[in-house]
Amino acid sequence: MPMLDRRLIKNFDFYLLLLVLTLCVVGTVTLYSATHIMEELADPLYYVRRQLLVTCCGLVAMLIVCFIDYINFQNWSRYLYLGSIALLALVLVMGSVRKGSMRVIPIGFFDLQPSEIAKFVLIVMLAKLLADREGHFHSLQDLVPSLLATALPMGLILLQPDLGTALVFLAILAGMFYVAGVKKREMLILAATVLVAAPLAWFFVLHDYQKMRLMVFLNPGMDPTGTGLQLLQSMIGIGSGGLFGKGLFESTQARLRFLPEHHTDFIFSVFGEEMGFIGAVALLLLFFLLIYRILWIATHAKDQFGALICVGVAVMFTFQILVNIGMTISVMPVTGIPLPFISYGNNAMIVNLLSIGLVLNVGMRRHKIQF
Amino acid sequence: MNKTMLNRVRLIFVIVIGIFILLSARLAYLQIVQHDYYLYRSENNRFTTIDLVAPRGEIYDRDGEILVTNRPGYVVSLMDLGDGYDADTIAFLSEVLEIEEEEIRSAIDGQLYMRYLPLRLKSDITPEVIARIAENRWKLKGVNLEVHPIRDYRVGSTAAHILGYMSQGTIGDQDTLERWAEAGYEYEPGALVGQTGIERSWQPWLCGRDGEQRIEINNLGQLVNYYERKDPVPGHNLYLTLDLELQRIVEDIIARHLEAIRAKGKNPDARRAAAVVMDPHSGAILAMVSYPSFDLNRITQDYAELVAMNPSPLPNLALQGTFPIGSTFKMVTATAALEEGKLGAYDISYCPGTITLANDTKSCFNKRAHGALNFYSALAVSCNIYFYRAGLAAGIDALSHYAREYGFGSPTGLTDVPGEVAGVVASREYKAAVTGGEQWYPAETMSAAIGQSYNSFTPLQLANYAAIIANGGIHYRPYLVQKVVDSEGNVVQDRAPEALRRAEIGEKTLSIVREGMRRVTQPGGTGYYRFSHLPVTVAGKTGSAETGDNREPHSLFTGYAPYEDPEIVVAVVVECGGLGEEAAVPIAAEIMEYYFTGTIKGVLDSDADAGPPADQEF
Repeated sequence: MPMLDRRLIKNFDFYLLLLVLTLCVVGTVTLYSATHIMEELADPLYYVRRQLLVTCCGLVAMLIVCFIDYINFQNWSRYLYLGSIALLALVLVMGSVRKGSMRVIPIGFFDLQPSEIAKFVLIVMLAKLLADREGHFHSLQDLVPSLLATALPMGLILLQPDLGTALVFLAILAGMFYVAGVKKREMLILAATVLVAAPLAWFFVLHDYQKMRLMVFLNPGMDPTGTGLQLLQSMIGIGSGGLFGKGLFESTQARLRFLPEHHTDFIFSVFGEEMGFIGAVALLLLFFLLIYRILWIATHAKDQFGALICVGVAVMFTFQILVNIGMTISVMPVTGIPLPFISYGNNAMIVNLLSIGLVLNVGMRRHKIQF
Repeated sequence: MNKTMLNRVRLIFVIVIGIFILLSARLAYLQIVQHDYYLYRSENNRFTTIDLVAPRGEIYDRDGEILVTNRPGYVVSLMDLGDGYDADTIAFLSEVLEIEEEEIRSAIDGQLYMRYLPLRLKSDITPEVIARIAENRWKLKGVNLEVHPIRDYRVGSTAAHILGYMSQGTIGDQDTLERWAEAGYEYEPGALVGQTGIERSWQPWLCGRDGEQRIEINNLGQLVNYYERKDPVPGHNLYLTLDLELQRIVEDIIARHLEAIRAKGKNPDARRAAAVVMDPHSGAILAMVSYPSFDLNRITQDYAELVAMNPSPLPNLALQGTFPIGSTFKMVTATAALEEGKLGAYDISYCPGTITLANDTKSCFNKRAHGALNFYSALAVSCNIYFYRAGLAAGIDALSHYAREYGFGSPTGLTDVPGEVAGVVASREYKAAVTGGEQWYPAETMSAAIGQSYNSFTPLQLANYAAIIANGGIHYRPYLVQKVVDSEGNVVQDRAPEALRRAEIGEKTLSIVREGMRRVTQPGGTGYYRFSHLPVTVAGKTGSAETGDNREPHSLFTGYAPYEDPEIVVAVVVECGGLGEEAAVPIAAEIMEYYFTGTIKGVLDSDADAGPPADQEF
């Protein structure tokens, strides 16, 4: 076990830690507001207790991750990767169904959600594969290992089916390719491929409910009782919050159950209704500072591997924030992507905190150790 | 980190900034620009109001006897208590209430986001069904037995035409809607409102003001919380001029006589009749009967059948049925001739039995020659030839003028129940209008003079006519509602008699006419036999009106008593009842006997069979 260098402490980004802790507190309070009135709960604090427990575990894991030099992850990446692929395969074989798709493996009181873990692992894996090339990308062939590494878990997740999470992978891949130095020509070819593949996906990959959601996004008036209703109720919640909000715990949309999924995917609606525009923008600002901090660490990382990890994490968070909040205010289609640190979700919370741990880790070791 | 990578991270950062600006801008639009709209939508989501139905006012007779009230009726309703509807419960209710399960389920589906409202499955269920539901209560989920006011017509079919019934049917005429609106009642389509009788005309007073309960509901429309409540204001109670006891007796008398008449087989068409008993000094109606009647408590079940019947018992014959009134018109003819100076009360005229006048050969009843007559004896024996001459002397224009003076040809002004009709006064103008300009012939004047021709009036007009004669020429507005009392017992309205106009007929003429009517019930008069045993002197006139087809004539009577100081007017019309003496006169006599003595000994039907000299009547 290496000695904890004083420099490591000095380089520890308390600023980032503070942001994360603040987000966790905001998330817990919002979760309490969204769930304590759920009549079906015997214990009104059921969700809050679980999320708090998981958050504490995640924070401990985050700190533990900080002690292990992230360089080690370079060697562990392939095992982590194989492990995550195995879990993704397992979930298809023995997973249990949640809301129409197989996403979790129940382990006692805990539902393991391999797709969340796979996001984190993919970032590490891609960072290793891309860093190894040290910026040398001469042809598409050089990208094949990374593409395959991404395609495999994405394919397994699409089989669940979970389009939203699969798209997160695509975003991570694109962001990391770009920063790793993939030339614009290759980027464009890949983008074109995705665009061509999209219509094919419409016919062969997408399930009816997913097509429905996309169509509703393009035309919110249709399906006023299903997805359209969710969207409308979400906007009613946020819009009725106004400038200052209805006040903490005063969301009528959640209390009267007009808003579906108000503690998970649509929790931002509850927040927007209760805290108003000022609160919502403050939350956005917190997220923005979080991303800024992660990217700042990326630019100061001592090596490409570290920088790429940070970029991957930043892109992951940004994409999830955009899609989740965007969905609640109808600038994005409805997908099942949670809002980092705010939505209820045990796996996501642990994985998000681990990701932050890794970023903190990169930040702590940002300068080559001088002898 | 090399320069290229740094730049690329910077570009990503710029994209991140763009994303956050986009989200903030959209939030500003929703939360600031469109805030009002979404706030409205949010309030609309969660609040709704339930109507609280006001108890409808009760109706009493003149002595405070209850006629119409509300009784608690049990309504079975099903409510979603938060976990949907229970299949076993639906199956049980389907069996007990005899409603298809499918029907219940589609009603549930139809409820959509109104689950805060109990779903009413069946109203006014029988005690057996209540018992079965109560026994099984422990296993039924969300089943309520709600108590609802149901209109209870305590008197069943008595005064059915006056009281009227309610339904959710459409209100046909704009007039009614306007009158209701004037009285402060705004009709909403689908509301349960009075359709006929007092229930309709007094709807704005009876209905009260519905209350409202504001409630909060959730996404399934389930009730979450109660908010402001506005209590309903019960409707006003009405006290009628009607005497329930008298009304019942009159209905019984008519029913008994008509059954007896039909039983004899001579007048198979004697199926309908009407009678009006009125105070000549106020227009207050003490009894008003339209026979046959129907049961108000069964109107919803029976309605289709009642409409289909021929003739239907639904219209109120007393003010909607029009009849030629035969010899009861003769006071009009006399008035016209007397007022125009064409006749003196003691002028002698000779009745030869058959005579040719105005190129038309006319006869008295059974061609009997009445011999020398003055006005009094002519009215007493109802000599046609005397009144042909009087009619010809006065002329058709005078006849129609004085008919109108006596209130014929336009509604008498009864507004407490809807639907009064005007009737038709035979006149030159009317004939011209209906025949396309044909001229009037003197022969027709003779028909008109004995209440035939186009003359066609309601029983209420017949009563009003006798009232005008009895009270010395005042046309009072006939009325049924004496007093309006609010739910706290305050008298809102107490009706005073309303003199609509004074008939332009000299008092001398009226007293001659009254004396003539008195002579009808005196020895030798057509009504003597039936009225002779009464303790009061009756003034009246009998009549038999030709129907114009081959049916038996309508039997009529109108008159008042006591002659010296009139208390009541009685008018009776029996459709195809035969001669006046055969139906209307005995009915009127029994009504008066009951009114003045409290019992009916009457003239027994067996005696009536023996009857008066058959040739005396007309």
